[in-house]
Amino acid sequence: MAGCYETLNQSTTSTVTDSSARNGHAARAVLSISGLRKSYGAIDALRGVSCDVMQHERIALLGPNGAGKTTLIRTIAGRTKPDSGQVSILGRAVSESHARDCLGVVPQEIALYPDLTTRENLYAFGRFYGLSRALTRDRVDWALSWTGLSERANDLVGGFSGGMKRRVNLACGVLHSPPLLLLDEPTVGVDPQSRQRIFSMLDQLHESGTTIVLTTHHLDEAQQRSDRIVVLDQGRVIADGSLDDLVDQTVGSSRMVRLRIDKPLDQPIRTAFHSDHTVGNVGETLLTTRIENVTTELSSLVQSVSGEGYVVRDVEVTSPSLHHVFLHLTGHELRD
Amino acid sequence: MIWTVFLMNLQRLRHNRGELMLLFIVPVAFFSIFALIFGKGVGATTSKVKVVIVDQTQSAAAAAVADALINSQGLRIMRSEDRESILSDEAIEMVRSGGVSVAIELRDSAGSVQANLLADASDQVAPQLVSAIVTQAIVESSMRNRASGIRSGALTRLEPASTDPEPALTESAVEVIDVIGEGKSNPIVSMYAAGIAVMFLLFGATGGGGALLEERENQTLDRLLATQLTMDQLLLGKWFYMTTIGILQVVVMFIWAQVVFQVDVTSRLDGFVMMTVVTASAAASLGLLLATLCKTRGQLNGLSVIVVLTMSALGGSMVPRYVMSERMREIGKWTFNAWALDGYDKVFWRDLPVADLAPQLFVLMLTGVGFLLAARVLAIRWQTD
Repeated sequence: MAGCYETLNQSTTSTVTDSSARNGHAARAVLSISGLRKSYGAIDALRGVSCDVMQHERIALLGPNGAGKTTLIRTIAGRTKPDSGQVSILGRAVSESHARDCLGVVPQEIALYPDLTTRENLYAFGRFYGLSRALTRDRVDWALSWTGLSERANDLVGGFSGGMKRRVNLACGVLHSPPLLLLDEPTVGVDPQSRQRIFSMLDQLHESGTTIVLTTHHLDEAQQRSDRIVVLDQGRVIADGSLDDLVDQTVGSSRMVRLRIDKPLDQPIRTAFHSDHTVGNVGETLLTTRIENVTTELSSLVQSVSGEGYVVRDVEVTSPSLHHVFLHLTGHELRD
Repeated sequence: MIWTVFLMNLQRLRHNRGELMLLFIVPVAFFSIFALIFGKGVGATTSKVKVVIVDQTQSAAAAAVADALINSQGLRIMRSEDRESILSDEAIEMVRSGGVSVAIELRDSAGSVQANLLADASDQVAPQLVSAIVTQAIVESSMRNRASGIRSGALTRLEPASTDPEPALTESAVEVIDVIGEGKSNPIVSMYAAGIAVMFLLFGATGGGGALLEERENQTLDRLLATQLTMDQLLLGKWFYMTTIGILQVVVMFIWAQVVFQVDVTSRLDGFVMMTVVTASAAASLGLLLATLCKTRGQLNGLSVIVVLTMSALGGSMVPRYVMSERMREIGKWTFNAWALDGYDKVFWRDLPVADLAPQLFVLMLTGVGFLLAARVLAIRWQTD
């Protein structure tokens, strides 16, 4: 395990990237993916994926079902052999066992032994990660405290709630203190309280220096808990950047405004800030438009509507979110 | 509603090939196996009993009886490779080693031929069959002698030749002597203990192999292989575990057999340990092989029931092999159970030295190594995709 950190410490002296500059860390790529391709028969799961993950980053890997997220995670974990392309962790090919020592993997399924206790599960995985007996015992104690399951240490995992199992599932992947942690939908099927707890645990890991890559379908989680978002669709990276970057690149920074008026519209309303086009459709009571500046344009819009003899019953201003970005990038059609 | 429930279950059955196989194919397969064992089928005629003849009298009457036995349809006469005649000790050794079922020792008693049948009492059919054939041969020979004596005028008094056998002759002419089980306490039980132990050893091993498929199904295998654990280490670890559990299973079975049924395990500890270790390790390999052949736990359940029950039926765990036809016994030799049971039979029933276990130990070890290597090759597909 020590070798992992030696490599990591050496790496911190090299290139400073935009991302690391944002986070105030000097870093280089912990994970480097280059031209990754993988096909299953006629299906191209990955079509030349390239991406670098910098030290201390939190990356959310998004994409509709069948986009290639799980194949990408499995390839990074060394469980899927790519047809072409390379994956390296801290500069070493993932096929090398040393590289895998630097990686923690938390699968989507509860990959635990339900007929073992929490402590027994943790101890077994600690040993499988190559920790000494003494170190494993220390790490198990840490993991029990970290997960808040110290009092359930000697209970069988099979009897736990979904949230508790998820926490043990997560703990089993980080016993060897990996610099890079891969999580495949770590909060699927758990209640909001458990999700909150799991993300608090991930925050602690991140604060202690762990680089985190996770896939999720909870866009709010991705928006709130990641420094960078990578959107994958049909085996390709179609967007990569911070939320602000993605918003600017896709839906733009304008806000969506919805006005509900007291009676159906007789004719479209012309506004002061949109001299070239009108707002609303004849016969509707809901007017929808986009504004660039909330301070100046919103009041102007309300005044224009009032000036035409309508009473504004309700106003809703929606800022662009990852949800809009995601649908803008991937469309509304079902993928499976 | 009821119809929907009925229909839904029918549809689920239609989609579950393993269950379909268990429901319809396995019963037919087992019916066929037992029909072949007990009925005509493969063994188109009743199997011949292997015997040797020991002629202690060298008389013409004994020779006539021996000729009649040689011509009998029910017997297969085994001979010494280097000599015309076979000595009693040699014949007993052949019975002990399982080379023949019965040794027919012809002796002279007050001018008439009598026979001792030196038999293996574990075979409850052969001694009875041979006894009937030998009795018939002795009686017919005696009658021919008497008839020829009358025709040659050897008798001075003219009495009508009786066709009835002499009552004393038929009652005492043939005596069955158990040359293996004598002095043993409840020896037959050891055979059943071995038969059941081996069958459940196989079931246990396939269950252990199923854990590997469970790990694959819930992604634990992926997670394990993302650690420092290699597939070699995983399979060997499971193999050691399954072997150890198998050994304990058989040990518990025989401790119970010793305590409750007085099977003498302690005096044959060396042979027992050797057979148990080798049998359990080969069973563990088979369990892993079956698991790696399958994609799901459901498939394994179906396959293991078929394989284990078929091998147990043909190999003697359910029905003693001596009741099977020669052909079925030959087929049985392709099963795991037959070799294991033959080994335990040599240890507990025939009291043979450990060196005599060599064929069984060799075959089971070779099988175990072969199965384990095959499982490793099949598991390659799980390493990466």
